[in-house]
Amino acid sequence: MAAFAAYTIIGLSLGGIFSLAALGIVLIYRTTGVLNFAHGAMGMFSTFIAWQVFYGWSHPFWPGWLSTLLAVLAGLVFAAGMGLFLEFAVFRWVRTREPVVKAVITIGVLLALQSAASLIWKNNQYHLPIYIAPQTWTFSVADVPIGANYIVIIVAALALAFGLGAFLRYTGFGRSMRAVSDSPMAASLWGVPVGRVGAVSWMLGSLIAALAGILITPFINFDTTSLTLLIIDALAAALIGGLVSLPLTVLGGFLLGLLETYPTIWIQSLGFPRLIALLVILAVLVVRNPRGLTAVATK
Amino acid sequence: MTSRLMVRIAIALVAFAVLARIPVGFDVGFQFDAALAVIWAFGLLSLVLLTGYVGQISLCQATFAGVGAYAAGMMVASFHADYLVAVAAGVAAAFALGVIVGLPALRLHGITLAIVTLGIALVFDRYVFQDHAFEWFTGGSGGWRVGEATMFGLRMDSSKNLMAAYVVLLALFCLVGLLMVNLHDSGAGRRFRAIRDSELAAATMGVNLTRYKLLAFGMSAGIAGLGGSFYPLVAGSVSPQPFWLFTSLQFAAIAVLMGVRYVPAAALGGIFMAVVPDVLTRFGHGTLFGRPYEISYDWFSIAVGVLLIIQLIVLPDGVWGDLRTKALHTWSTARALGTRKVKVA
Repeated sequence: MAAFAAYTIIGLSLGGIFSLAALGIVLIYRTTGVLNFAHGAMGMFSTFIAWQVFYGWSHPFWPGWLSTLLAVLAGLVFAAGMGLFLEFAVFRWVRTREPVVKAVITIGVLLALQSAASLIWKNNQYHLPIYIAPQTWTFSVADVPIGANYIVIIVAALALAFGLGAFLRYTGFGRSMRAVSDSPMAASLWGVPVGRVGAVSWMLGSLIAALAGILITPFINFDTTSLTLLIIDALAAALIGGLVSLPLTVLGGFLLGLLETYPTIWIQSLGFPRLIALLVILAVLVVRNPRGLTAVATK
Repeated sequence: MTSRLMVRIAIALVAFAVLARIPVGFDVGFQFDAALAVIWAFGLLSLVLLTGYVGQISLCQATFAGVGAYAAGMMVASFHADYLVAVAAGVAAAFALGVIVGLPALRLHGITLAIVTLGIALVFDRYVFQDHAFEWFTGGSGGWRVGEATMFGLRMDSSKNLMAAYVVLLALFCLVGLLMVNLHDSGAGRRFRAIRDSELAAATMGVNLTRYKLLAFGMSAGIAGLGGSFYPLVAGSVSPQPFWLFTSLQFAAIAVLMGVRYVPAAALGGIFMAVVPDVLTRFGHGTLFGRPYEISYDWFSIAVGVLLIIQLIVLPDGVWGDLRTKALHTWSTARALGTRKVKVA
C-alpha cells in the first residue's frame, strides 16, 4: 500500500510535467495554428541554459537559493527570447500556409535545437539535475516520504493552469488571444493585433516549456534526447484535451502521468511508458477525433 | 512499349552505370557511405510514394527500415537462411508493419497522422529495439552479426567485398525507382494521386480508400524495409541507433527538402544523408586563425533542420522540384528564342 501511495505521488508529479508541456502546445496551436513538435526541444534547450548557469557559471560562495533563482531566471528569459525569435524569424512568414507545412517546419526546429544541444552539452553524458527545493526537504504522509520537489511540480502545474485560464478569461489581452484562436480573420477585422497575439503565445508557450523542463530534471534521465522526446507524452495530454480545453488538458496530463507510472511497479522498462502514451493517442484520435484539430484545419 | 518508357529505362541504365563506377578505388569507408546512401535513398523513396504520391505523412520510415534490418538479421543469424530469403523476410515484415500502421491512418490524416507515426517511431526506438522482452527479434544488446553472404553469385561482406553489395543495392534501387516513376501514371498511381488531392472526391469516384491506403502504407514500408534489410550485410551487424526516432525525422526533413514528389530527389537525398556527414567529419577539422576547430555530425544535423526551415519558406516544392521547374522554364524559353517566335499576351 505504501508503495502504491509513493507511485501515486511520482505519477502525479510526472503528470504535472506533462500538463505543463501540453499547456504550451495547446496555447500555441490555438492562437497560431502551429502544432509544435519542437516543444520538447525548446524546453530542453532552455533547461540546459539554466543547467549551465546553475552548475557552470554560478559562484561557489553564493547561497544555494541565489544560484537556483538565477538559473531559473536565465532559463526563462532565454525561453521567452527563443519563442519571440521563432515567431518573428520563422512562423510569421508562413502564417497562411497549411497546418501540415507549419508542423513540418517545427520538425526542422526540433532537429536544429536537438543537434545544437548535443553539440554543446554532449548527448550521452550524465548531467546533474537542477533541484528547485533542496533535496533534504522531505515530509511523510501516512509513512510515505515525499520530497518537496514533487510537491513543487504539482503545485506549479495547477497554479499555472489556473493562472493561464484566468489570464485568458479576465484580461483584455487574454480575450484577444481567445478571439484569435476562434478565428484569426474575424479577430483581425475587429482590430485585434493578431501578430502581437501570436508573438505573446510563442513567448508564453516557450516559457511554460522551459519551466516544465527545469522541473522535471530530477525525475528523468537528464540528457538532451529524453527531454526532447517528452513531446509525445505532452501531445497525448494535449489530445485528451482535444487541443482546445485547458482544464481537460491538465486533467489528461495527470491521468497520463498515473497511467505511465503504475505499470512500472511490475514492468521494469524504460520504453514501456511510451507504449502507453501511444495507446492513449490512438484511443483519443481514432475513437473521438478531437474537434480542435478539424476546427483549425478548416479555418 | 512506348518511347517514354524506353527513355526512362535508358535513364535508369545510365544512372546505374555511372553511379556503380563512382565508389571504385575509394577506401572502405567511402564504399560504406555509398552503400549506406542507397539504403537511406530507399527510405526517402518510400516517402516519395507515401507522401509525394498518396499525400500521407509518416514520421516512422526509419522504423520500417529497422524492422526490415532486424528481420533480415534474425533470418541469417538464427535460422542461417540464404540472404535472398532474409531480404524477402525483411520486406515482408516491414510490409506487414506498414499495413498495421496504415489501419489507424484510415481514419486520420495530416497532423494527426504525424502524431501517431511519431509515437510509433518512439515506441519502436525506445521499447521494441531496446527492451529485453524483444531479444528474440533484436538479438539482444549486441544485435545480429552477419559475416558474409552470397547473392546472384556475388560474394559480399562488410569490408573487402562491399562493392558487390553496393552494386546489387544500386541495381535494386534503379529498378524500384523505375517502377515508382511508372506507377505515377498507372491506374494505381492515378488512384493514389486522387487520394492525395481529396479523399472525399476519390471515394466518390469509386476508389476503394481502405484498400489503396493500406496498400500505399504497405508498399512504402516494404520499400523502406528493402533498403533496411541490406543494412546487416553492409554494416556487419544491426543496432538500434541507425533506426532511432531522429533518423525518421531526418528522413522526413530531407525528403521534403529535396522534393518529396520526385524519385531522383530520393537518390539525391540519400547521397546527401550518407556522404556529406562523413566528408564533413573526415576533412572538417584543422585550425582556422590559430584556433582548432572540428566539424562533427551534429553540425550536419543542425544544417538539415535550418535548411528545411528555409526551404519550406522559400522553395515549397523542394530543391529538386524547384530546379526542375526552373530548368523546364529555361528550356522552353530557349526554344522559343531559337525559333524566334514572339509570345503575345
